[in-house]
Amino acid sequence: MKKKILIEGMHCASCATNVERSLKKLPGVESAAVSMMTRKAIVEVDERVKDEDLKKAVARAGYKAVSIE
Amino acid sequence: MEHEHHGETPEEKEIGMWKKKLVWGWIATVPVIIFMYILPFVFDIMIFSKEIMAMLSLILAFPVIFIVGFSTLKSGFKGFLSLYFNMDSLIALGAVVAYLTGILQLFLPVQDYSGIAAMIMAIFVTGKYIESKARGRAGQEIRKLLELGAKNARILRGKTEIEIPISEVKVGDVMIIKPGEKIPTDGVVVSGESSVDESMVTGESLPVDKIKGSNVIGATMNQDGILYVKATKIGSDTFLAHIIELVEEAQGTKIPIQKLADKVTSIFVPSVLALSILTFIGWSIFGNFSSAFGASIAVLIISCPCALGLATPIALTVGSGMGAKRGILIRKGEAIQTMKDVKVIIFDKTGTITKGKPEVTNVEMGKGVKEKEFLEVAGSLEKLSEHPLSKAIVNYVNLKNYKSVTSFKVLRGRGIEGTISKKKYLIGNKRLMGENKINLKDFSKKIEELESDGKTVMVLSSEKDKKVLGLIAVADSVKEDSLEALKQLHAKGYYTVMITGDNERTAEAIAKEVGIKKVIANVLPEDKSEEVKKFQEKNGGTFVAFVGDGINDAPALKQANVGIAMGTGTDIAIEAGDIVLTKGSLVGIVQAIELSKATFSKIKQNLFWAFAYNTIAIPLAVAGLLHPVIAEIAMALSSITVVGNANLLRRKKI
Repeated sequence: MKKKILIEGMHCASCATNVERSLKKLPGVESAAVSMMTRKAIVEVDERVKDEDLKKAVARAGYKAVSIE
Repeated sequence: MEHEHHGETPEEKEIGMWKKKLVWGWIATVPVIIFMYILPFVFDIMIFSKEIMAMLSLILAFPVIFIVGFSTLKSGFKGFLSLYFNMDSLIALGAVVAYLTGILQLFLPVQDYSGIAAMIMAIFVTGKYIESKARGRAGQEIRKLLELGAKNARILRGKTEIEIPISEVKVGDVMIIKPGEKIPTDGVVVSGESSVDESMVTGESLPVDKIKGSNVIGATMNQDGILYVKATKIGSDTFLAHIIELVEEAQGTKIPIQKLADKVTSIFVPSVLALSILTFIGWSIFGNFSSAFGASIAVLIISCPCALGLATPIALTVGSGMGAKRGILIRKGEAIQTMKDVKVIIFDKTGTITKGKPEVTNVEMGKGVKEKEFLEVAGSLEKLSEHPLSKAIVNYVNLKNYKSVTSFKVLRGRGIEGTISKKKYLIGNKRLMGENKINLKDFSKKIEELESDGKTVMVLSSEKDKKVLGLIAVADSVKEDSLEALKQLHAKGYYTVMITGDNERTAEAIAKEVGIKKVIANVLPEDKSEEVKKFQEKNGGTFVAFVGDGINDAPALKQANVGIAMGTGTDIAIEAGDIVLTKGSLVGIVQAIELSKATFSKIKQNLFWAFAYNTIAIPLAVAGLLHPVIAEIAMALSSITVVGNANLLRRKKI
């Protein structure tokens, strides 16, 4: 399952790396690519992963997930 | 995409935020600079006593660091708590420590860096403002394509024409588009004739003729006639919206070269924190507290890995944006890096080098075979197949009534068989005839002649008496600019190969016409990827690009190091293909290669400068040779240079 997360508050490249690291730690996240240019994270997840978990992972790195689609 | 409705994109919001910070930051910082540096050091004027000056500096610097810099401090110190350090962590610590020296100097003999702290923060937000502006320009470019579209549509409701906002157009509405107007959304022409300038989405500068039944793309420009267009796609389903989504997705993908930079950035901040502490300890022992503070603050500030992290994504964004405007969609960022190593380009023949619209050119009957019957049988059989060659025959035969066919079967890569009036027929290539032991002797000369002209010959025979009824020759003409594109590719030193299911002679004739170096003929569709693999294994590993139409070539496109799919009109839902060309021309390949190379060399330049900057500046800061203000200016400049350099890519003519 591919999901797109719109993230607020990333204004540097290391922010993107942080979000990516945090997302990848979630069990069930197969891949995560975060771009500060598009402010989006594209994650490949299985059914274990709920949107709430993704939001929490983004928050853990210090940013805000605005929307998930 | 809800942001668009508020009239402000996230980029604009960010730019606005930094701008506000910049203004307030400098309002408080300028007096500090005047009273503490310019007046005493340049004009030798001391208005206040040293003690009052120190207090004044603390008071003026406070809002700059703790109000203007609030979000930076918050994000930075959050990093310390969660151990997700970011670049804000460094600047936040640097600025706060510098500010605290202003308080510390009340009790200890250390230099007061509080004024410096204000300057650092002011320069930091200025740098961020400039950077976000340049970044916004790159990021928004793609979305700007959407804004180019029409705002209103004139539609037919019953018999009256009404004008409505584009957002209210529904699928099925008939839109009226006058000369010089933009087509509001994707649709199909129901009446009228005109030519349409599609350059903004395909890069093709010549207008395209549109008649009843033609597909049109939203946001393209109607030229000289009135078109009545039934809307088929609206909103986020349109061609343009898809392109934007594709490109944005690609902008988020990673390029291998970036991995090193990513690794460095992820360990960078903690390493720098450690280095800064060591610097402080070292200078405290071998120097004094003042220089210890100065040097360690400089280390914190100069070491921002921002330029390093920005180097790749910013160049990729600019490059893919440029591509989108020229009909080159980079779907996987990796292709940019791989492209520079490609030595061999393999082309599919039909639809790639040729137009993919074959037409019947010759019909030859055997002795005693009547043309009418022959065409009836051929047409009825081919009617049931989806193959482009079949369509060409059906179009040519143009029967009113088709005969009923039983036991119909498509023989992949060979032809078809079917039974009409209890008689079994075969129609297809020489391979099919050979497999059924049908003797082509009487026709072999004719076949040879037709094939040498680059025509594809199909044989119709009856299975039972092994008799050839006749031949149908079909020609698929070469695209006008294929020759030119191949000439340019050869000039650049690429080895070109054409692969086709067609027979050798036909393939050779086409290859000769466009100047292709090598031909691999008689290849079944499923074996194309195998052929690509063979080339990849040559000379201990060769990088191969495959160019195909993306529909039946998907495995070969995936197998190749770079898969280039040729889009056909409005269909860009091509999943294979690292790069998709929206216009059907091979010249797009030359452009795609140029663009990839240019973008990749920008990435390399950026990474080089970002690395070089840090390797030179950090030792200087440790050695105490870099004043914190100079360090901050240098840091801001490094990010601005990287972003600016990426924007320079736009100047390249492609």
